[in-house]
Amino acid sequence: MATEVAVNPLRAGLRLARTPEPSIMVIFGGTGDLASRKLMPALYDLARQRLLPPAFAVVGVGRGEMSDAEYRGQLHDAVGEHSRSRPIDEEVWGSFADRLFYVSVRAEEGYADLRRRLEQLDRDLGTAGDRLFYLATPPGAYVPIVRSIGRHDLARNGGARSRIVVEKPFGRDLASATALSQTLHEVFAEDEIFRIDHYLGKETVQNILVFRFANSIFEPVWDRRYVDHVQITVAETLGVEERSEYYDKSGAMRDVVQNHLLQLMALVAMEPPAAFDANAVRDEKVKVLRATRPIGPSELAERAVRGQYSAGFIEGERVPGYHDLAEVPPESRAETFVALKLFVDNWRWEGTPFYLRHGKRLPKRATEIAVQFRSVPHQLFSAGAREGLEPNTLVVRIQPEEGISLKFGAKVPVQGVRIRSVAMDFVYGASFLVDAPDAYETLLLDALRGDATLFTRQDEVEEQWRLVDPILTGWRESPSPPPAYPAGTWGPTEADLFIGQDGRRWRQP
Amino acid sequence: MTVADVDTALWGPRADGVAGLERELARVRRGRAAYMGEQVATVARAAVVNVVVVATREVHAQRAARTISQLAMRHPSRAIVVLGDRHTGPSTPPGVTLHAQLPSIDRFDQVHYEQVLIRARGDVADRLASVVVPLLVPDLPVFVWWTETPPVGTRHFEDLLALADRLVVDSADFARPETMLPQLASVCIVGAKHCALTDLNWARLTAWRELLTQFFDVPSWRALLPGIDGVRVSFAVDADGREIHPSQALLFIGWMAARLGWRPAERMAPSEAGGLLFAMRRADGERVRIRVRPRFERGMSEGDLTGIRVEGERDGARMEFRIHCDGRRYADMTVRSDGGLASERIVPLPATDVVELLGEELTILASDRIYEEALALLLTLS
Repeated sequence: MATEVAVNPLRAGLRLARTPEPSIMVIFGGTGDLASRKLMPALYDLARQRLLPPAFAVVGVGRGEMSDAEYRGQLHDAVGEHSRSRPIDEEVWGSFADRLFYVSVRAEEGYADLRRRLEQLDRDLGTAGDRLFYLATPPGAYVPIVRSIGRHDLARNGGARSRIVVEKPFGRDLASATALSQTLHEVFAEDEIFRIDHYLGKETVQNILVFRFANSIFEPVWDRRYVDHVQITVAETLGVEERSEYYDKSGAMRDVVQNHLLQLMALVAMEPPAAFDANAVRDEKVKVLRATRPIGPSELAERAVRGQYSAGFIEGERVPGYHDLAEVPPESRAETFVALKLFVDNWRWEGTPFYLRHGKRLPKRATEIAVQFRSVPHQLFSAGAREGLEPNTLVVRIQPEEGISLKFGAKVPVQGVRIRSVAMDFVYGASFLVDAPDAYETLLLDALRGDATLFTRQDEVEEQWRLVDPILTGWRESPSPPPAYPAGTWGPTEADLFIGQDGRRWRQP
Repeated sequence: MTVADVDTALWGPRADGVAGLERELARVRRGRAAYMGEQVATVARAAVVNVVVVATREVHAQRAARTISQLAMRHPSRAIVVLGDRHTGPSTPPGVTLHAQLPSIDRFDQVHYEQVLIRARGDVADRLASVVVPLLVPDLPVFVWWTETPPVGTRHFEDLLALADRLVVDSADFARPETMLPQLASVCIVGAKHCALTDLNWARLTAWRELLTQFFDVPSWRALLPGIDGVRVSFAVDADGREIHPSQALLFIGWMAARLGWRPAERMAPSEAGGLLFAMRRADGERVRIRVRPRFERGMSEGDLTGIRVEGERDGARMEFRIHCDGRRYADMTVRSDGGLASERIVPLPATDVVELLGEELTILASDRIYEEALALLLTLS
């Protein structure tokens, strides 16, 4: 009888991250858009980098009838189109596709088939009952699928691990988010639930934590005494064309602000966690969200602006307005632009506004976090000399060109003093290799390994809804529709007035 | 071109000493800033590492400079190439001259790469470091890449090593790697400063180590590790079987043995066509048969691994883990249990050209304990 070996002694010193334990990934919505555009290309790219476990299989679950071979053929084309390494490497694909299976589940008895298939694969491949479920279906299907997983005991295989990845939206308000979590908890423990917010998988977003907590020079000025305000922008040039049916029920607030923008704010504002592990990091994020002051009905006009784009121009092309889209009902009041002024009521941030802004059909695709510092307490140089001087600003750019830039004043080399702002730019791609992993690759690998640091916990989701719900209610009850802004502009004029009344202005990212 | 001449098209014009070179660099930076200013952009100069290349042959110096410039997008650097030989003549008296290849002014990009050639002729080894020191970009780590077998014990080797945070060598080129490598490992500790040692030949094994390790990430397969009783490592030779370089294969075995706690049981003995056959002893005292086997595989460089087979017994079942590379950039990984196929997959192997290897090595600064242990174990076998 061989002795048990708890850790792999060969692993020591190897630079590649540990490959996940053997497992089967079960994708509900296996023929859907998300699976073919994001998940399969990411899995293939992981296989190409030798990061998948030696014993591994992917089972796509869908409603249609299809053979494994047909499924593989369909995904081959999708991966060829969407993988970040093209053309597709047929050798790697062939070996990956051998572990790719399809199960049709239309009704309850389909789950019994699924169970048999998974057990067979466990025996054939040595995956030992370890499962990662992935809900890549429309959100309406989440509850029935989770209940069926429970009823058919798919998640419990002796001592083996089970995890489930849930895509946003996590509900459409606090009540539905809590109800969804309750359903998930009927089958899965909270630490087995991975709510995915793909923004958190982006390299630069993770870099915020490194930047703040691996350097000693920024943290001392990272508070209300030195920071005048923070602007977080997620600007998109795209409209909502193909997604208009979904979008009209959701709107910009639920689509982006409730999750991505509030998560970015939490990362910027959080206290240093005691450890870089899932719960320590998320504990600190949730504290920020809890400390954030909700926007009540009386403050709505002053602290929140919405907008809806009308026809205009993007990069020289005429684009239709939101109301011109076929699926959008004429009475639709879905917002395509949101600007918020939030306050984090804690020791560090008391009184420092966080301006959050997101919109569709804005002039430029850009995501950035700008921390603007206060001016010097006493002006040494004459107003004339200071004309070209802007406040010190630290900008973390997430897209399009990931990087960090710091703006500071410098003397122009002429006789006398004339000051101009210069930017010190750190372009991520120019200092490190350009080929950063895709967010889904990072997050799928983390989920397979069981590392939840970059996933959203139930309490975070609920706190985010707590902040967003009253604003949505206020807008729903408001007699006036969202103000219009022409496509290709930075939102309605109300947004400029809103920040202007504080004596500040929006950045042009 | 004679040995002592310098090709200025390649290495840049001759500079008037270190101060002259600094002036020239400043002029280029100002020019670029002005150009960028017209284009409403800011100039940035990025550098994360100094690389000092040491060569006695122009062809090595050129190859190394080309490699570093190719890596500049990933590792922006200043490269200082020291090309020295003892040839002198009437037109090339002994001494040191500087040449610099600078970024052009009217380029709309960041500066990633600056290259300085230190051309030394004659018996000037005692003053080389004095030229290198003022050229180093401050606050950045210094990699010294010795393109040939380092002359341990000489003045200029020790001077340059003292500047280095990391010494990069390629033991594939060493005549006696098994004696040279431990020597290097010991001289890398100079006083309180420990210079890390990188062997590109070890870097070539990284993917193989990773793949073998992955098998044993599977808990049920991991249980076989204490029961391994046979290992076969194959390495590539030329079609005639003349170019026999088993150093990678031996390092690989050194690594496995060090990690799994094996000890030598008998000395290495030659076997068929340049191979080796010997045994080691596991922690429980049982023997592990080791075989190092030369194989001709089309498309593989001599000395590179072509395959690994690990076998053993667990709970009465024979298991075999095999990784095989057939000369294309893929490895076929199979697991057999009592002869039946339990798992098979094909994975791509990364390129092992010097650009890739060095690019990977430049990301790490610390010394590699695992390598040093593999090396130490190898010594006990020879």
